[in-house]
Amino acid sequence: MKTDPDVIVIGAGGGGPVVAKELGELGIRVLVLEAGPWYGNKKWHEPNENRGITKESSNPGDLDGSLYRQQLTRLENDMNDPLSGKFRWGAADRRRTPWYRNIPDRALLWQSAGIGGSTMHYYANSPRAFPEAIEEWPIDYEELIPYYEKVEATLPVEFAPTVSKEALFYYGAEKAGFSMNQTLNVTSSGYRPQPNAILPPNEHLMDPNYSMEELSHMEGCTLSGHCGQGCPYGPSLEKMAKRSTTVSYVPLAMKTGNVSFRPNTFVTKVLTEYSASGKREATGVQIRDTWTGETEELRATVVVMAAGCVETPRLWLNSDLPYNPWVGRGLTNHYMDMVTGTFDEETLMEILGSRSVNPFIGHTSGGRLDYPGLGMIETIGESPGLSAQLLFGFSQYGYNSLHGSASDMWDQRGRLVGSELEKAMEDYSRTLTLSAITDDEVQFHNRVELDPHITDEHGKVPCVHYEPSKKSKKRREQLTKIATDILRQAGATKVHRTDLPSNYFIHLQSTMRMGYVVDTTCEAYQVERLYVADNSADYNALGGPNPTLTTQALATRTAELLASKYFT
Amino acid sequence: MQATFQALTDAFVPSVQPEYASPFHETDMGVHNYIILSLNHNISIQQQLNHHIVPLAYPTAIMLNSAATQLVNHHQAQAFPQCLFPGGGMFSHLSRKDRIRTLAALGNLDIDLYVLPSPFQNNAGMVKYVTDALSRFSLFGYYSEWPAYGSTRVLPPDDRCLEFFPLTWQQVGYPGVSLGYRDFRGFLLTMAEVKT
Repeated sequence: MKTDPDVIVIGAGGGGPVVAKELGELGIRVLVLEAGPWYGNKKWHEPNENRGITKESSNPGDLDGSLYRQQLTRLENDMNDPLSGKFRWGAADRRRTPWYRNIPDRALLWQSAGIGGSTMHYYANSPRAFPEAIEEWPIDYEELIPYYEKVEATLPVEFAPTVSKEALFYYGAEKAGFSMNQTLNVTSSGYRPQPNAILPPNEHLMDPNYSMEELSHMEGCTLSGHCGQGCPYGPSLEKMAKRSTTVSYVPLAMKTGNVSFRPNTFVTKVLTEYSASGKREATGVQIRDTWTGETEELRATVVVMAAGCVETPRLWLNSDLPYNPWVGRGLTNHYMDMVTGTFDEETLMEILGSRSVNPFIGHTSGGRLDYPGLGMIETIGESPGLSAQLLFGFSQYGYNSLHGSASDMWDQRGRLVGSELEKAMEDYSRTLTLSAITDDEVQFHNRVELDPHITDEHGKVPCVHYEPSKKSKKRREQLTKIATDILRQAGATKVHRTDLPSNYFIHLQSTMRMGYVVDTTCEAYQVERLYVADNSADYNALGGPNPTLTTQALATRTAELLASKYFT
Repeated sequence: MQATFQALTDAFVPSVQPEYASPFHETDMGVHNYIILSLNHNISIQQQLNHHIVPLAYPTAIMLNSAATQLVNHHQAQAFPQCLFPGGGMFSHLSRKDRIRTLAALGNLDIDLYVLPSPFQNNAGMVKYVTDALSRFSLFGYYSEWPAYGSTRVLPPDDRCLEFFPLTWQQVGYPGVSLGYRDFRGFLLTMAEVKT
């Protein structure tokens, strides 16, 4: 792009490409800046090994599904190692360490840099917010519905197919007294398949005349279980089964002819000036090339921050923008726990007609139970390394071998080591794991701030402090007990409770809250022409559901409002 | 340092029978090296012109030995006269259970933080973060495909290649990278049904 773009979007994750596509369709020229690499683009054949042959790409012809498939190896250590995996919060060059966030506690914060951002590793769960949680927002749920519908049609979203682990979960949920919730707008508790941004299975999936190799090049989910590793199965990049934004909104944005994406570009500062009326307004950004360290200033009429819940407030604070006590404050987390039930072969045979659950088959998370007032319960079936690490290696409780479970509800609790770990993993194929995810309460003390002592190449590093409220803790406890009951009702002979540490971060939200930092159009109160289009604009934690769909709906709305204010 | 991390993985992960541990003859399939790599590939900071990696493996080994010594001195753990992992410090003189006790004490900050080496000295957040990560790294290293990178496993990620099928995947019944499975049991609900 030779002339200044109309809009600069910072971050190509869940929200940024949505804004770009919507604005591009209106004829507005957009440049999206992304800190991490780009997988599946011919201009970066070896995206982790060198800086490629160009700086940005706007031609949909650059996108290449076979390259994407070759780069996303579906190997859990290669893809998901938080320190050196292809999906990590760090530069494209994996010889370098990740970008540091100081979280002074037992902590793991899942975020991924790169075109697609954290949607590269997300499970594509796309439920709407609970209407009762949006009642607290300064905008109405009704107002969001058309935008939800638009995103659901665009991604697209479809209810997850049933595989063994979901069949077992629905069976247990039914026996535990819940019924199916046949809706997208959840007002009461009940189970249902996950509305997922994953293409339905190909109609020939069960037909042995089609080989799995053939099917993996055809349209539709193959139930491979590689959601968390990106899932590069489909006939072309834009038809890949799992709808990370890199295969959905990014190609659509490029097709408008008005959008260019620039990977390997870290935004270090939002530039502002004072307008004639004396108001501070955004005029551009300062960037740093992650391969060369070269810096540049880029100008635009409007700047949209979509760098995620940690980096967006960090960028605000590192840019010396006007003081606002709520910048970085009110952080919510999907404060969660996990319970794993082990089943004997006879029970499984009776319920499923097979002797194993094989939790790694199907959508990684295909079933859910919504519980307005508490949060949600989800099925999860990860690969062995990720499962062992999260279920048996990460706990605030301590070591099962030192304390026992200290409760009748769980046979084991906390970290497992040695022979008890070996036994638990031997049973892996006969387990069902449920996550209990809390509707986390907004607290002013939970925050992202700048570390006063530590600086990296992009400025002061973020420091994340999080301690759930009493109410959130109580909700987690209730949900964990419900999840345990579902497993027992389904016939689990043994239940292990992980008791995850509170600083296990997924679905971070609300660090630039609507009504406090941004107005109802998601424009910053104190800086004109500066918008937020990621989870940080959320007023609260949506009642518990996964936030991506709401962020995408809100980003669609923000693009429309931004265009009508500055480009008509 | 190597010995301390061998003592650590020996306490955390199941021991692989020698006949399966080949070609590397390590009962932890070399996972202690994965921990060392991970600790030294964790944090980097900018100081004037220099972009420094903060190596954490060496101070972590000292921290483990220092904590083990404190537990022994307070009679909360008992040291074997012989070192179970040649070249190791006090942590390598403890039984598996006492090594786990040491890690629990560190995780709960039930030790004197002043005697720990930098960057852990009086830095509770860092002690908790690293002590916890030791357990995560061990389990992820052991049950992921990392050991199967074989002779290339300690190279930078883009230079590694899989040399055999991961032993632990075989043990737990995980078929590895899959093109898909024929386990479709229908739809409980479709979007068309909820939109009417």
